[in-house]
Amino acid sequence: MNPAATAMDPEKILRDLRDLWARLAEDRGAAGGVLRACSMTLIVVAEPDDEADAETARKTIGVLMHVHPSRAVVLTPREGGEFSARVFAECWMPFGGQQQICSEGIDITADSEQTDEVARLLVPLIAPDLPVVLWCRGPRAFLDRSLDPLFPLANKIIFNTRAVRHPSSAIEFLRRMRKDRRQVADLAWTRLTGWREAVAHLMDACPGGWLAAASGEVRIEYGGGRPGTRSLYFARWIERALPGVNITLIPVAGGPGVHSVVFAGCGSETSIRLGEGSSLEVRTAERTYSAVLPPDSEECLMREELSILGRDPVFERVLG
Amino acid sequence: MTDSNPFADPLRFERQVPECAIVIFGANGDLTKRKLIPSLYRLAYERRLPATVSLIGTSRTPLSDDAFRGKMHDSVKEFLEDSPFDEDQWAGFAKGLHYIAGDLSDPKLYSAIKDKLTALGRTNVLYYLSTQPSYYGEVVERLGAAGLGHTTTQGWQRIVVEKPFGHDLASARELNERIHKVFDEADVYRIDHYLGKETVQNILAFRFGNGIFEPLWNRRYVNHVQITAAESIGVEGRGAYYEEAGAVRDMIQNHLLQVMATVAMEPSAVYEPDAVRDERAKLLRSIRIMHPEEVPSHAVAGQYAGYRHEPAVNPSSQTPTYAAATFYVDNWRWAGVPFYIRSGKKLPKRTTEIAIQYNTAPHALFTPDAGGVIMRPNLLILRIQPEEGISLRFLSKQPGSGMRLRPVSMDFNYGSSFGERSPTAYETLLEDALTGDATLYTRQDMVEASWRVVTPILEDWANRKFEFPNYDPGTWGPPAADDMLARQGHKWRNS
Repeated sequence: MNPAATAMDPEKILRDLRDLWARLAEDRGAAGGVLRACSMTLIVVAEPDDEADAETARKTIGVLMHVHPSRAVVLTPREGGEFSARVFAECWMPFGGQQQICSEGIDITADSEQTDEVARLLVPLIAPDLPVVLWCRGPRAFLDRSLDPLFPLANKIIFNTRAVRHPSSAIEFLRRMRKDRRQVADLAWTRLTGWREAVAHLMDACPGGWLAAASGEVRIEYGGGRPGTRSLYFARWIERALPGVNITLIPVAGGPGVHSVVFAGCGSETSIRLGEGSSLEVRTAERTYSAVLPPDSEECLMREELSILGRDPVFERVLG
Repeated sequence: MTDSNPFADPLRFERQVPECAIVIFGANGDLTKRKLIPSLYRLAYERRLPATVSLIGTSRTPLSDDAFRGKMHDSVKEFLEDSPFDEDQWAGFAKGLHYIAGDLSDPKLYSAIKDKLTALGRTNVLYYLSTQPSYYGEVVERLGAAGLGHTTTQGWQRIVVEKPFGHDLASARELNERIHKVFDEADVYRIDHYLGKETVQNILAFRFGNGIFEPLWNRRYVNHVQITAAESIGVEGRGAYYEEAGAVRDMIQNHLLQVMATVAMEPSAVYEPDAVRDERAKLLRSIRIMHPEEVPSHAVAGQYAGYRHEPAVNPSSQTPTYAAATFYVDNWRWAGVPFYIRSGKKLPKRTTEIAIQYNTAPHALFTPDAGGVIMRPNLLILRIQPEEGISLRFLSKQPGSGMRLRPVSMDFNYGSSFGERSPTAYETLLEDALTGDATLYTRQDMVEASWRVVTPILEDWANRKFEFPNYDPGTWGPPAADDMLARQGHKWRNS
């Protein structure tokens, strides 16, 4: 028997959680007690051997818990590392509230080769009857199959293809996951919400112009040297909405991501370009105005994804 | 966003409030200070309003734009609920605040509003009537005379009307006719802020989003329903208003009958404004209208000791500060099930809740002789405020030898399951009005139906002389209210 596996005792972790709550209740008993909050299990896989990434993940979870209270499990794979687990609580006082709200978490470090055992360990640690979300923070899921044993545990799996080397392969991977009936999300897609919203509102403002655009062409400018998943998703989303339209992806100088989209048809152009700060400059034949892009911090993106625990038909259509 | 938009993504895209102006009549009043401006500021803070939104306050008091902004700044700081105040955010929001002083009866006020809207370039306008109700009709007519109030292809014009919508059925109808001369029904938003409360909206989610409750939601299983809106405070300086209104007009005719309609309505086929409102309206029309001779046994009036000493209150006032009534819904689902509704001031605590009491088990397997059993019926409590949530009371075996049963409670607390701050009722309702969603607003037929329900009570009480005061502050109202339930073998749930 693998010695590390014997150390993986879910009963002990659950006991530690019970003790943690008992301590919290004692510590804060005089101040009105604590409210134990949990609406899902959130399993977060940090990058292997990267304590800084695990720390960032914990900070993000701390913020997310205020909106999506959860039992959080932070898994840090370590090459040849020994199994260890510790429990923690994230507590906060709602603004103007009288009672602290606390959510619980479990930090797990395990050998990168032991994902199968970790997956078995996680089964009894999942909060019963509530959704399970798996968040794979880095590109590892696209590089090898080591995280595969974790996928069946989750109702929704959130990836981030922002830094993948082969965007088309990553999208193909997500498409296969989708075909296997897994609910998948990609934070690169989430980052497009502000852009897509600006396009959709333009459509509402001048539907006639858009009909003309549908028979014309669409140019998407992207930075970073090659089209990343964001640009590819954006192009595919427009293609699904305006079937038959001619879409061209054009590289421009500057950082990765979408820089502009231009709809041309019937002698007129409508464009949306990155403006200053976090804004978009929208230019039509009649007027020019700014639209504010939502913040694209990890917390904000995750917050958006965690609020959609069911099917996401638009993203599914884009994956095809 | 239109349904035909191929780019729509309702799961992710926020509803977009278009460029617009909000004109508040009664901008110097309490509602504006305590609710409207703090809610609009919070919507702006959350970027749910366009950066260019304009707000024009009007009232008789002469004020400059800057003085108005200063007053509103202080109000927002004082009355913002569950949310910190951000000076930078305020500075941006305050740029859109304007003020026009004028008399509501003076046509010049409306010309000035029109000029201001033109200067600001706003064609979408939401008018908010936060004045004394007696001015509602006149304001609307003067808006119409100034060429305002008609939705055109250039933009929409909507009006929000605060309660009370009329003083009785006849005046509600008359007001409606005056409003309809200027605004189409689709542009009239009669606000009942109870419907904007998250927990009231959650009643629909609870009933129609779950499979297990609705089959038990009928006369076969429900013994009776109690709806309580209790306040621990008195009239708090609003004696003049309260003398006119009283507990029935202030709470029951609007808020509590709307809550009752939400609890008892049939499911609509779709969650769309008129489909939901149709069902609410149907339920309100199904409430049995009391015969005059039934009123004394089906309704109880109360007044707390000390009310007559409140400022602006008649020393021999006959205004009830407490009202309780028994209603029946004449339809297949609810035939014979009493709905007890009560509302009062100076009660032991502030609470609003719906208690659904189920029938006891059909066969008493566990008798009181078998070991101290406390037989209690199942009770489902929907708590609207404070401590929003849902509790289910059921019997459980007490640990130890023997079969002793004890009532226990299974609780869902809104705050512990959703860490996110809930929007206030006014935030929800203002955003709805600005985006044209009338689901949570009352329609004229609903207003008329609820006036019809309370008319026999109001008429009977207007012709009676009560032995007021008849309850002490800090108690649960007059003993007659307990007797009303006792006659049916029931008891108020006082907790």
